[in-house]
Amino acid sequence: MAWTIIILAAGSMLLLAVLMACVLGWANKTFCVEVDPRIERVNEALPGANCGGCGYIGCNEYAEAVVAGNAPADLCTVGGTSCAAALAEILGLEMEESWPRRPVVHCGARTADRLQRNEYRGEPTCAAANIISGVQGCVYGCLGLGDCRQACDFDAIHIIDGLAVVDYEKCVGCGACARVCPRNIISMVPFKAEQMLAVICSNKDFAKDVKAVCRVGCTGCGLCAKMSELFTVSDNLPAIDYDRYDAAAFVQDIAKAVEKCPMKRLFYVGKPTDKDLAATADEELPDAIQADFRTTVDKTEWHG
Amino acid sequence: MELIGQLILIAVGAAMINNFVLHYFVGICPFIGVSRRVDMAFGMGCAVTFVVTVAAFLSWIFTFFLLQPGAPLAQWVVGLFLPAETAAKVDLSVLSYIVYIFVIASSVQFVEMYVRKFFPVLYKSFGVYLPLITTNCAILFACLYIMKNVVGVGPAEQWDLARSLVLAIFAGVGFTIAILIMAGIREELDACDVPEPLRGAGITLIVAGILALAFLGFTGMDRGLAGLFN
Repeated sequence: MAWTIIILAAGSMLLLAVLMACVLGWANKTFCVEVDPRIERVNEALPGANCGGCGYIGCNEYAEAVVAGNAPADLCTVGGTSCAAALAEILGLEMEESWPRRPVVHCGARTADRLQRNEYRGEPTCAAANIISGVQGCVYGCLGLGDCRQACDFDAIHIIDGLAVVDYEKCVGCGACARVCPRNIISMVPFKAEQMLAVICSNKDFAKDVKAVCRVGCTGCGLCAKMSELFTVSDNLPAIDYDRYDAAAFVQDIAKAVEKCPMKRLFYVGKPTDKDLAATADEELPDAIQADFRTTVDKTEWHG
Repeated sequence: MELIGQLILIAVGAAMINNFVLHYFVGICPFIGVSRRVDMAFGMGCAVTFVVTVAAFLSWIFTFFLLQPGAPLAQWVVGLFLPAETAAKVDLSVLSYIVYIFVIASSVQFVEMYVRKFFPVLYKSFGVYLPLITTNCAILFACLYIMKNVVGVGPAEQWDLARSLVLAIFAGVGFTIAILIMAGIREELDACDVPEPLRGAGITLIVAGILALAFLGFTGMDRGLAGLFN
């Protein structure tokens, strides 16, 4: 009897399986939806981080837009050039030369460099602190409360001594930090080289006012513009023309401008070179980093 | 008259008194997951109602003709090959779970294809939750509830197809009611100042609990209804 049951059970399951397979197979053909197979392939080529750096809700949305021809193929900042090349190959497009975009924090003032600071005990976000006047003298510079660090999904931006510092090793260039910064001091710069020259200040006031609020702020003297035509000064602040930027062609101009800048506000930012790593190689790092608790009640200055 | 009375009792019982979500706490996953917008919640409710009806229809047929002890189909097959052993009842009810899961998964696949073809917008808003109906315990629960009333009861109390279908449809209606109320509350909650630690899942579960308490108020209604029809 037991054998009868087992054979019967197996037989009925087999029959059931065949029956359902037939029904589903029929349904699959009848209710088939035409999907562009390229969408699948584009989806596979994309990194799937769903970070929204391209301006679409997720990788799938972007894939649909790319295949429909509504979006360029090089918008994915996480995948970078190789991803753009893969997409262009799937879609049969010509690859234009594109550069990875990375954020640059246009402020170089550590807590100690900022003047006229007042104790701030409000909501510890830049967005809240930005509404109130008088948190610090400079109304252009980094507040150091870390909205950008919160926004970063890749742990690539940190607050060091009250200043947002990008970790270019980890950064994928999704631009979340640039979007969230209430003072708009983070800009996405096309990185044509491992290290890019950048103006590390956002203050548009006259020299006297800048001096009053910051020890390291750009005074808008315009010396850099005199040294090289890469720089254009407007609103007392130089800007670098990244379309024409080419480190090799302008190497002497740039070196002169960096040297002449009285406030030393021109920096190379980006991944550390081998030379930088070699210079710090013999510095000993502590094995474990001690937690550094700070309270809002502090007799000295509030460090954020 | 008695049959209609029983059907109404089963219907009200499944939809209100013993609401699957708020009394038995089955089907919580879509109940929490897809109750953010009322229109999406309604779509989910409709999909679950449809799937549970199809699954109940198929599972009653399989249970009655194949799985219950002495089921006609199984008995006939045994009689065909081993006429000597027909005296003992063939009991295939061990297969019930696997057959139900099989039936549910297939009907969900079917519904997914159908919705994708004819309601692309609904398909998009369902996202991952449509395949998740497969693992929606409310549907398996409905099948098992029907099985309980088919296997191991006397021929007089044994449920027929009509009763099973009424249970399934109104279980789906009850699920829709619960998820719609939940979605309405959650839409209002978006505008409320919820204490920070409770935001998200916390307040949702609290609201679900209060809803379940409110549905407790229907208890005892079945006795009154039964008195009405007998």
